[in-house]
Amino acid sequence: MKSTKRKAYLAVGAASIGLLGALSIWARPPFTDAQLADQQQQLLDVVNKGRDLWHGSNPQMSGNGLACGNCHPDAAASNPQSFPKWVSEIGSVAPMRDMINWCIVHPQGGQALDPDGSDMIALEAYAFYLYRGQKIEPGLAVPTPPDPVKSGVGYPHKGSGIGFDK
Amino acid sequence: MANETDVTRRRFLGLAGKAGLATFAARAIGVNTGLIEVLSAATKSGMQPFSFAIITDSHLFSADNHRFDRALADAVNQVNALTPAVDFVMYTGDIAQNGREDQLLKGKKILSALKAPLKVIPGEHDWYLDMGKVWNGLFGKETWSFDHKGVHFIGLNSILVRDFWSGTGMTPLERMSTMEMLESPVAGPWGVRDAQLEFLRKDVKRLGASTPVVIFTHSPLWDYYPRWNFQTEDAPQIREILSKFDHVTSLHGHVHQTVYNKFGNMSSAGSLSTSWPWPYPPVKLDYPGSQMNQSDPANTKDGMGTQSVSFDASGATATYEPFANSLTPFLKDGLKV
Repeated sequence: MKSTKRKAYLAVGAASIGLLGALSIWARPPFTDAQLADQQQQLLDVVNKGRDLWHGSNPQMSGNGLACGNCHPDAAASNPQSFPKWVSEIGSVAPMRDMINWCIVHPQGGQALDPDGSDMIALEAYAFYLYRGQKIEPGLAVPTPPDPVKSGVGYPHKGSGIGFDK
Repeated sequence: MANETDVTRRRFLGLAGKAGLATFAARAIGVNTGLIEVLSAATKSGMQPFSFAIITDSHLFSADNHRFDRALADAVNQVNALTPAVDFVMYTGDIAQNGREDQLLKGKKILSALKAPLKVIPGEHDWYLDMGKVWNGLFGKETWSFDHKGVHFIGLNSILVRDFWSGTGMTPLERMSTMEMLESPVAGPWGVRDAQLEFLRKDVKRLGASTPVVIFTHSPLWDYYPRWNFQTEDAPQIREILSKFDHVTSLHGHVHQTVYNKFGNMSSAGSLSTSWPWPYPPVKLDYPGSQMNQSDPANTKDGMGTQSVSFDASGATATYEPFANSLTPFLKDGLKV
């Protein structure tokens, strides 16, 4: 009886040691700083592509010369943090990419993008990046402007320090 | 002068009185004790009421029958229909989108249907393809002043930037494209610069303190949102030069939205565009009632329109004339100041 019990313990111990050994082989090592920096750069490259698209780099997106940036400088009033939400222009609860395509087709008079294509991903990346840190709030009715200067993206101009009497 | 019995008209700058401010241009009209003959002659005999209209920021593209062409034509018709008729029309910049000659010519042709005389200053979209060459040829000098019925009017070019293109190999088209981007990191802040400051000093030297002064610029003369060049870099110098006056009215384009501010002896109001409305920047203003409703992108006229400003013996009143129902009740029902 004792011998059987001992064998069972040995078997469990051996299995545990084997499992730990296997895990040590299979486990992914942590990302290195260089890898993390590369991943962030990959994101920023797409964000920058999105900024260019937002300002008219793809002629397919406009039939009348207008780009997203005409009405939404710094992606203002695009409110990516509020999607999905009811979009009256579309008549359903829709993700941001559907609203982007609505703007491309209607105010801009262009051709809709592939909703899963790289251009659409870049446009969304640009808008979401400018709104990073904003509270996710689907259906938000009141627009929340981005503050890209404070958030570190963009290029603040130093003002002349006037304008408000206190 | 605005028709005060027409309750459908919106009296925007009445919000100043509603907000507890003294007045907008409250002292704009008064007995001129100053030094200039033309103004004293006009005001000694009493104020002769008049009004003028403002059209701005049409951003015409080159394409034929573009909807912005129709919007500008609508603005012209709207202004022509004002009763009583305006004495003149002020255009505060950005006729064109890309500064092209065909766009400026198209704008001049549409604006030629105005019944009243036209005064114009440039915006950055008019200017940076050829540094104002075509604009000057079509519309004359960009810096000017004149007296009208006791009021002194000044127009300045406020979109001058430091040279960012020489030595970079940048083509004129690339320079123009850089300036077209509102949040461009390249161009830097706008201003009127030294020559126009000197013009301004000399221009107002002869005027007495009680002279009503109206100054037109494309960009605001205060730090609204410098990142979008909702500012004029040398506005402090402009305000210093104009500080001797009892009251100065600053009227500007560029912001494509209703906005009001008051600082020192200057009241400032932005204008609706005829092209598209811009969202409000992340700025907390002391006059929240001065913001219009969020525009509906499905309504191509929402958030756009023209303005009229009336002068009479009690002061000045600016009125937004939107194409669609864009204004808040506060703006619609503002008081005469």
